[in-house]
Amino acid sequence: MTFYLGFLRRYSLVIVVAIAAILLMGFGFLPEDFWQILPQQVINGVSLGAMYALLALGFTMVYGIIELINFAHFNVFMLGSFIALWVFQAMGMESQNVVLYGLPLVGALLAALLVTMFLTGALGMAIERVALRPLRGISGTAPMITTIGLSYIIYNLVLLGFGADTKNYANPLPPTKWEIPPALLFGDQAEIRLRELLLWGVSLVLMAGLHYFVRRTKLGKAMQATAQDQEAARMMGVDVDKVVQTAFFLGSALAGAAGMVFGLYYNYTSFIIGYSAGLKAFTAAVLGGIGNIPGAMLGGVLIGLIQSVGGSIIDVRWTDVIIFSILVIVLVFRPVGLLGRAAPTKS
Amino acid sequence: MRRFKYLSGGFKAAAVATVAALVGIAGFGHAQAADKTVKVGITLPLTGADAEDATKIKNGAMMAIEESNASNLIPGYKLEVVIYDSGTATAGQYDPAQAATNTKKLVSDNAVVANIGPQMSGEGKAMSPILSEANLATITPSSTNPDITNPAMAAQFRPKGKAVYFRTVTTDAFQGPNMANYVKDKLGVKTVYVLDDSGAYGVGIADSFQKQAAKIGIKVLGRDQLNPKDADYTTILTKIKAANPDMLYFGGVAQAGVKLAKQAYDIIPNVKKAGGDGVKGASFLKGVGFPAVEGWYCTDASPELLTDPKVQEFVKRFTAKYGVGPDNYSVTAYDGALVIIDAIKRVIAAKKEVTRENVRDAIQSTKLMTLQGEVSFDANGDIVSKIVSVYQYKRNPAKPVDDEAGNSVYLGVAPESPQT
Repeated sequence: MTFYLGFLRRYSLVIVVAIAAILLMGFGFLPEDFWQILPQQVINGVSLGAMYALLALGFTMVYGIIELINFAHFNVFMLGSFIALWVFQAMGMESQNVVLYGLPLVGALLAALLVTMFLTGALGMAIERVALRPLRGISGTAPMITTIGLSYIIYNLVLLGFGADTKNYANPLPPTKWEIPPALLFGDQAEIRLRELLLWGVSLVLMAGLHYFVRRTKLGKAMQATAQDQEAARMMGVDVDKVVQTAFFLGSALAGAAGMVFGLYYNYTSFIIGYSAGLKAFTAAVLGGIGNIPGAMLGGVLIGLIQSVGGSIIDVRWTDVIIFSILVIVLVFRPVGLLGRAAPTKS
Repeated sequence: MRRFKYLSGGFKAAAVATVAALVGIAGFGHAQAADKTVKVGITLPLTGADAEDATKIKNGAMMAIEESNASNLIPGYKLEVVIYDSGTATAGQYDPAQAATNTKKLVSDNAVVANIGPQMSGEGKAMSPILSEANLATITPSSTNPDITNPAMAAQFRPKGKAVYFRTVTTDAFQGPNMANYVKDKLGVKTVYVLDDSGAYGVGIADSFQKQAAKIGIKVLGRDQLNPKDADYTTILTKIKAANPDMLYFGGVAQAGVKLAKQAYDIIPNVKKAGGDGVKGASFLKGVGFPAVEGWYCTDASPELLTDPKVQEFVKRFTAKYGVGPDNYSVTAYDGALVIIDAIKRVIAAKKEVTRENVRDAIQSTKLMTLQGEVSFDANGDIVSKIVSVYQYKRNPAKPVDDEAGNSVYLGVAPESPQT
């Protein structure tokens, strides 16, 4: 299992292009206004993709280290959006009309982000310690089923605690938007909103931070070593339990951050949001090559783009069909995903 | 030993009571006999995205039944209510499968002689065949998909033949098309983009709106479908922005509607937006919130009742009892319960047994003055009156922000055919 592969394999690109070509041929012609709205759809798609990528990282890190698909991740993300909402409300942003500017805005966002990430990270660690560590070393599906159970527990607790209705989110971002003039693009003018910039900014900073952590710090290197060979790492003095805890903490903290930006971006939350976002993020992790960190980022952005650009070629009701067909096609030709490398067989 | 003693004490008491009762019956004849109980079901999605509106419907029905019991409207009988929730956590809103399960439970209890519900047509489609097998009548105060009562689809929805699905609102065969007429006449809409939420109700009303729009010369620029569980509708809204229609018409209920309205406010603020009764109500209003909900048009498949002078007394009673004001569909639910109470009364007056078959037959022949006017049904169970009312959300600073009736204005009746 490998974490890093610095370049896109040439034939993965060929496959992606081939799929795009097949899609275009299959669905006939591009709609008239396709090129005009493409820039805006790319902005939409990258926003979606950044969120999927944040979520996909959690799946991929845990899988990379203990080869477990952590389904509780779906609802850690959902809980994250509720925690952030709670922090915003505690700061007095009960209604839709409290809008902040400048430093107070940055401060409020940062506070909410940190509290959310810390709490969801701690929840991730607790999940690992209480429910998964006792099952470590048990082969088969038991640990995975345990994560599904945990996922349902979180889901139902939120449902019972907060009710089933859609919650209005705090709305501290001013409705600022910038228009990108048509001259800069080949299509119509596109709009970019502050909340999109926030989403991109948060994702970029967090992903860069994760990259730095994994590559440069001692614990990060220990994670890489554990991912390659747990036994060997243990023999070299790596504290494997600590590494696994770290992976759960980081993955869940990123999910919490994704939950917060989800709430701010769409201006709502509900106990049900984990399902569709989580499923697509998981798909992104598999598409990029599960266990591979850059793969998760790439997969997330690709799925986001497929969803928005694909949706502008044909009816949006077909979006899920396109996404999952592409997943199937990629996996048929490249079972380890776009950036994944075939795992060396473990003894 | 002690327990034994206690038990035998209980037996003694029971024996004494029985003897006393027998003496009582012998002594006073039928006058003091204990009331018989008949059960009426209520099946609504009381949890999930539409919980708030469903609760207002439930309260309307409960009020009629409680008032009937309190004032002994059916002498010798008490009504007992059996409530089932058709919302599930997996669906996050109404769940047709759960509605079907609930209906089977109702049918298996022989004391249940009629039902009130469902709220949603998706539930109704699952319930109607089961109700038909048992000849158990339901009265829906809000579900409007015409298929369920369409005689051409009787084999599917009422295989046993008799109408069991009665409505105290009209159907989308009028709600969609009449709104198309209204937007052409009154709002000058020439081009429209139509979306639905892939539910039975949403697809049906969007189809009927679209068909009539095309017929009366409104150009339909596009038609698409939303997955209500998706969070992101920016893709379709960007397409709509490029198509630049005069109006976006959305057929569907709150789960998809809330997200659509929030994102539409950002992306297509200048396009008029409209929907059916699925976007009218507190669930939608609270979920979307002002300012995003401002300006949305919506309809009810009933007359405007809350400002009707005859209904004011009801509005007062309802508000006093539940702390929040009613919807139009609280009134139609109240009317539905009145129809059932009246039917049971007529069965008893005709000296027939109070069975579900007899109650169904009595409901079929209803001619009852209710809050919304005279209610009677055609052979398929549809209400004879076909009125569709149009509303628009407008913030009224004098009212609390989540008061649906206070923050919407009644615009008039949508015409059955275009006037121009």
